[in-house]
Amino acid sequence: MSSKIDALFNYVQERCLWQFFSRTWDRQENIDGILATATDLLAGQAPKLDTPMDRLFYADAKIMVSDLRARLPWLNETPPAEIRELIEGLKARLEEIAIAGSKNRELSHHLY
Amino acid sequence: MPMVLLNCDTDIPEREKHVYLKAAGEDTRDFLPLANASTIPGTLSERGCAFCGAKLVIGGVLKDTIQMIHGPIGCAYDTWHTKRYPSDDGKHFQMKYVWSTDMKESHIVFGGEKRLEKAMNEAFDEMPEIKRMIVYTTCPTALIGDDIPATVKRVTDKRPDVDIFVVECPGFAGVSQSKGHHVLNIGWIDHKVGTLEPEIKSKYTMNFIGDYNIQGDTQLLQQYWDRLGIQVISHFTGNANYDDLRGMHRAQLNVVNCARSAGYIANELKKRYGIPRLDIDSWGFNYMAEGIRKVCAFFGIEEKGEELIAEEYTKWKPKLDWYKERLQGAKMAIWTGGPRLWHWTKSVEDDLGVRVVAMSSKFGHEEDFEKVIARGQEGTYYIDDGNELEFFEIIDLIKPDVIFTGPRVGELVKKLHIPYVNGHGYHNGPYMGFEGFVNLARDMYNAVHNPLLSLAAEDIRGTTQVAFKEAAE
Repeated sequence: MSSKIDALFNYVQERCLWQFFSRTWDRQENIDGILATATDLLAGQAPKLDTPMDRLFYADAKIMVSDLRARLPWLNETPPAEIRELIEGLKARLEEIAIAGSKNRELSHHLY
Repeated sequence: MPMVLLNCDTDIPEREKHVYLKAAGEDTRDFLPLANASTIPGTLSERGCAFCGAKLVIGGVLKDTIQMIHGPIGCAYDTWHTKRYPSDDGKHFQMKYVWSTDMKESHIVFGGEKRLEKAMNEAFDEMPEIKRMIVYTTCPTALIGDDIPATVKRVTDKRPDVDIFVVECPGFAGVSQSKGHHVLNIGWIDHKVGTLEPEIKSKYTMNFIGDYNIQGDTQLLQQYWDRLGIQVISHFTGNANYDDLRGMHRAQLNVVNCARSAGYIANELKKRYGIPRLDIDSWGFNYMAEGIRKVCAFFGIEEKGEELIAEEYTKWKPKLDWYKERLQGAKMAIWTGGPRLWHWTKSVEDDLGVRVVAMSSKFGHEEDFEKVIARGQEGTYYIDDGNELEFFEIIDLIKPDVIFTGPRVGELVKKLHIPYVNGHGYHNGPYMGFEGFVNLARDMYNAVHNPLLSLAAEDIRGTTQVAFKEAAE
């Protein structure tokens, strides 16, 4: 499980600008929204597309899921319950590096 | 490996907090260069000033706007025509002209408002077809407290057909040009966004933020958006008109390329108008395709996106691969402003087989270093606000084959017989998009394989000649 989460985490670190938005709340919003949509897509469920933000999360999640399926073939065989567990692990890692453990001194400034 | 104190920095040990060498197993929780901090006394910084960030980078790009610089003449000259951002109308108004109030000692002593008012009226009278203006303060006019908004009001009261935007960002306002980006972004959304309703011509609308049409970048990408049927309401600010940017509030999506110079306005558009922010990389094949796919997924036009990508790959990928074969393994240094570090480090690696061995940022923030260290290689140096002596020492350590940087540092490294490519204004751009990345590859190939480099290094005087002695020796 840990090595699988490592693989997901390494992909996001290398490819995804959304993890490093300007402020903690932007980063948290992206992590929550994109990973929730990615979980739906990986589990074969229809994503929510009701609002502009839903469509934004879908745009990022769709490309991420497509890349992950190509790079990590074992993901295609993983059952939905395990996918949820993996994404939870990934979410914790991203929150740690991009928010809780970040040394960026501007992350919590109340203004942009 | 912790932060690095270079030998040249022995007398300014504070520099250790700004230089990082990435080692295996480390990430940005362990080490992050201090950035967007005051330049340390004793270091010869490559930075520009805050005023320069507002005028040269963002405001000065507009193709229909007088740039009135309220200050001594040098502030105007030094932020004029050093960047190549043309316009699609063929007039290149923004590169041809420069305006200044040419403040002298007596104006500093007795105040410069009358002089500014006179200059503004003169400029509008001389160019009657131009109805838009940005007025910038500079260090001396900010220090003497000239009231710019009051002066602007006097002019607009008499000229109801003109619109003027004020940027009060003197050079000393921040630690680098980054502060100027910030001030202009926030000022524009506070005072100008929402003051004009754009004409909506498509069911898909977006703003493209943080692209300045360097050698035609904006115009190249515009071809893609046209083919996809997406209306770009505002380009912030490449190839843009002043009034285009007043209608940013009507876009459905903000697509951000340079998050450093223009992330602020994207954040504010999201906060105030609920427009989502999508960050993409516009340099590189793989990245450009990914960006197009994301934009198309947002609008639900994925098939059109795939068609476009397939056409562009067919046309340009063989050319890119020709260069990739010949650039494989080349070592590259990137010494630019900030975002190009993280935009380029993986794209040159994936698309060209080039390894980035050192990167230095003039005005990047810690957010930029989080991005680049996450993407960059182990064994690579990551430097904030690098100085000349550090560049010499880093060159000795990593021995790059090519350096992407500005002309000032570029001329310096040429003397060491290391080729440079203009990483700011480009050698032969545009560099964005598929075609653009082939241009970048061609310039890198011509630099790395230029036979003149080895010829220039040969000293035909032999050993009997007395070498020219430096005056300081």
